[in-house]
Amino acid sequence: MAGFTSIAPLRSQEPLTPAPVRRRFRDSPRRILIGAGVVTALLVALVVVSARTSRFTPDLLTEGVLYALSAADLAMLAALLFLLARFIIKLVVERRRALPLARFRTRLVALLLGMTLAPAILVLIVGSELIRTNIDRWFNAPLADVLSSANQIAGEYYHERQVLVGDHADRVASALSSVDLAGADADAIRERLAPELTLHGVRRLTVYRVGPNAGSPPTLELVGDVSASGLPAGEGTAAARLAAQAIGGVSDARSIEMLGASGDLLYAAAVVRAPDGPPTGVVVAADYVAGEFAARSHRMVQAFEGYNQLRVLRRPLTGMYLSFFLMVTLLILIGATWTGSYLAKRITRPVVALSAAAREIGAGRLDQRIEQQGDEEFGALVEAFNVMAGELATSRRKLERSTHEIERKHLEVEKRRRYVETILERITTGVVSVDISGAITTINTAASRLLSLPRSIVGHSARAVFDRADLRELGALIAGVDRPTVTEPIPQEIAIPREGQELRLAVVATALIGESGASEGLVLVFDDVTPLIRAQKVAAWREVARRLAHEIKNPLTPIQLSAGRLRRHFQTAPPAVKALVDECTETIVGEVESLKGLVDEFSQFARMPSPKTVPTDLGQLISETVALYNGIFADVRIEQRFAPGLPLVRLDAEQIRRVIINVVDNAIEAMDRRGVIVVETQLDIPNRVVRVVVADDGPGIPAAEREKLFLPYYSTKGRGSGLGLAIVRRIIAEHGGSIETSDNVPHGTRFTIELPC
Amino acid sequence: MLPRKHEDTKKGTVHSSSCFRVFVTVAALVAGVGVRAQAAQVSVTPIARDGQVLVSFDLGVGISDDLRDAIQSGLATTFSCEVALRRATATWFDRTIASVTVTASVRFDNLTRQYQLSRTFDGKEGVAHSTDDEEAVRRWLTEFERVPLSMTSVLEANGEYYVRVRARTRPRNAWILWPWDRSAILGRATFTFVQ
Repeated sequence: MAGFTSIAPLRSQEPLTPAPVRRRFRDSPRRILIGAGVVTALLVALVVVSARTSRFTPDLLTEGVLYALSAADLAMLAALLFLLARFIIKLVVERRRALPLARFRTRLVALLLGMTLAPAILVLIVGSELIRTNIDRWFNAPLADVLSSANQIAGEYYHERQVLVGDHADRVASALSSVDLAGADADAIRERLAPELTLHGVRRLTVYRVGPNAGSPPTLELVGDVSASGLPAGEGTAAARLAAQAIGGVSDARSIEMLGASGDLLYAAAVVRAPDGPPTGVVVAADYVAGEFAARSHRMVQAFEGYNQLRVLRRPLTGMYLSFFLMVTLLILIGATWTGSYLAKRITRPVVALSAAAREIGAGRLDQRIEQQGDEEFGALVEAFNVMAGELATSRRKLERSTHEIERKHLEVEKRRRYVETILERITTGVVSVDISGAITTINTAASRLLSLPRSIVGHSARAVFDRADLRELGALIAGVDRPTVTEPIPQEIAIPREGQELRLAVVATALIGESGASEGLVLVFDDVTPLIRAQKVAAWREVARRLAHEIKNPLTPIQLSAGRLRRHFQTAPPAVKALVDECTETIVGEVESLKGLVDEFSQFARMPSPKTVPTDLGQLISETVALYNGIFADVRIEQRFAPGLPLVRLDAEQIRRVIINVVDNAIEAMDRRGVIVVETQLDIPNRVVRVVVADDGPGIPAAEREKLFLPYYSTKGRGSGLGLAIVRRIIAEHGGSIETSDNVPHGTRFTIELPC
Repeated sequence: MLPRKHEDTKKGTVHSSSCFRVFVTVAALVAGVGVRAQAAQVSVTPIARDGQVLVSFDLGVGISDDLRDAIQSGLATTFSCEVALRRATATWFDRTIASVTVTASVRFDNLTRQYQLSRTFDGKEGVAHSTDDEEAVRRWLTEFERVPLSMTSVLEANGEYYVRVRARTRPRNAWILWPWDRSAILGRATFTFVQ
């Protein structure tokens, strides 16, 4: 048989499900033995009590034992019904829950109960009938007649003897009526009574007289008594009590004093009355029934009384025996029911526990174990199950550790990826990656902006995307993505036309090599080096300007002085010569002055100071600058459109004012001093820049000319030094910004200045 | 056997006290309701006398053969009577004002053919004597005169009360497997206490 088995999670860990409650009684063999002992003791007590029922007093039997037995029977019947109901309800619930072995338990309990119930009921019926029949047979007519006759004989004998004694008492009382008992001598009385003993067989005579204190009832005084020889003394008070009853008015006063083995004394009293009527005393006569005869008489009476008492109490007695019998039957049924349930539980419990544990493990709670207690056939199975559960738990823990490690690494990778992605999104370097199949995998914001490609090209073929006319040079670099030879970075400078200008990119194509050494794609990294190249050009021009200014300015003064000397020398010359000299020297001086102005501009371009930036209201600065043109050009209208909430911008106000004047002057010149100029500001918060746009509605600038606008000595006006826009670009560059030109809509030119804010 | 089916419809009278001007009117004496099939014709008569409520009652049963057998078998046979003065309430159980238990016992001596009679009142021993007259035994067992039940001072003027008498015999001749309340005899008398 299986031992106690229950499911329990591992103690070292938090239980995943509540541990099943162990039943103290069912799981403890010691307690079961104690319980069995108690039941056995109850049965033994029942047997002992039933064997001693003859000693029960009628009151105890009818007022105590019957109640107790009936209550006990009812309680046991209730217990049996409770057990059955509980078992049936549990079975119904278990079957509804489809718990394993519910049907088996039902059958087992039903079998045990059926095996017990039928014989128990049969024995109860047959036993009850036997009890009733046997009790009825106790009281058969012959026995009743015999006992009644015996009782009658004994009673009649005693009655006759008492009547006889009474007669003696009456006779003596009558004889003493003439005697003055109040003054009689005790000896004289004894002497008078003595013949009664010998002649009439009276065994004792006692005479009392009424005391001097009259009362109701009157008091009695012993006058004298005589007894036959060998008569037992008796209690001594029986005669006095009887005398008192007689003088108290009790007629036919008789009594029996039982002396045990010595026999009985039969008393009778008679009142002594004076001739004139008042009682003067009492005579008590006694007869003696010898010990043996008296004992037999008592036994006869006791037998009769005992028999009749049993007959009178026949129903309670029958009830008592039937209650005993019913109690034993109920005990057997309760025991069978409980034992059946217990055995079924013991047998099915390990399997149920295994099933429940398997369900728990199936639900993922691998810490479930089956607790095994004692030796049992299911021990090996339970042990194997526990080992399996342990291995499953170990594997799961390893798997969980691996999963945690992978998750941790994934988080790290993800963190790194976000970091790299953030960098890629924030840097101004364009990055485009292409996988081995030639599909674009990433393109950052800078690349999208520089190449004018939407972010949605990710996943498209790089070959198709870079087949665009302006991107073909880049496409050529990507073309070798599937060739493993492209392993070394190849820096190149590529020019891309962009809105009429030339965008210069420093490009490096780097092959992505996997751990196996195979190419996994390619990444293009490119920087916009256009500002750098511009700065280099400006620096070169500044050096040229500085040298030119230095080389040209030095001989100009001697030339000018020499021209002045020539003019003074030929002041006295003939008028024709003088006029020619004056004209020539004037031309020389004028051109020298012109050269000086030109050299000054060069010097200024070469020695432009670094801007001294302070937070400045750009809108106000522009307004003040544009106000300088009021009333100067009648056909030119300058509109101002300022973005709201423009922040203060760190700039050198004088230099920026010069920039605006230069650009507006250019615009006025470009539209031949007739038209509308729009000066507006824009705030680009994402890129943290402020834009100043100066747009005119002039004829516009051809795209091919735009890049040259900012080169020194380039002018479309045919006059001036051509350094204006070069200086503008330099000032803007010194402020960390940029200036671009583009077409205005519907016509004209837009100068867009970006300043960081 | 005691008579099984009786109903008592006897009217009782409640007398005025000599100390107080007490008028007790019998209001309704539809007493002795046959609560059970065992009910006998019980006559209950409450009276007020000398500041006490006294109850006389007659259980109205004779010496049946079963009772005679029990007595003559030598068993001490007892009539135990619980006399209760109660007041009915409309909304709750009736309230018991006072109660007393009176027992009358007889034991027959088969040797002397004498009946030994005794009584107790609330467990206190009363008078005892012997007789060989069966009728005297019947009266001794079933008729009770002027059993003191309560002081009239505890009664409310014009209050309606009733006296209930419930008698049992011992030893009881119980059913075989159901010993409860089989041999009870019930009787009651209702009265209005007028002061």
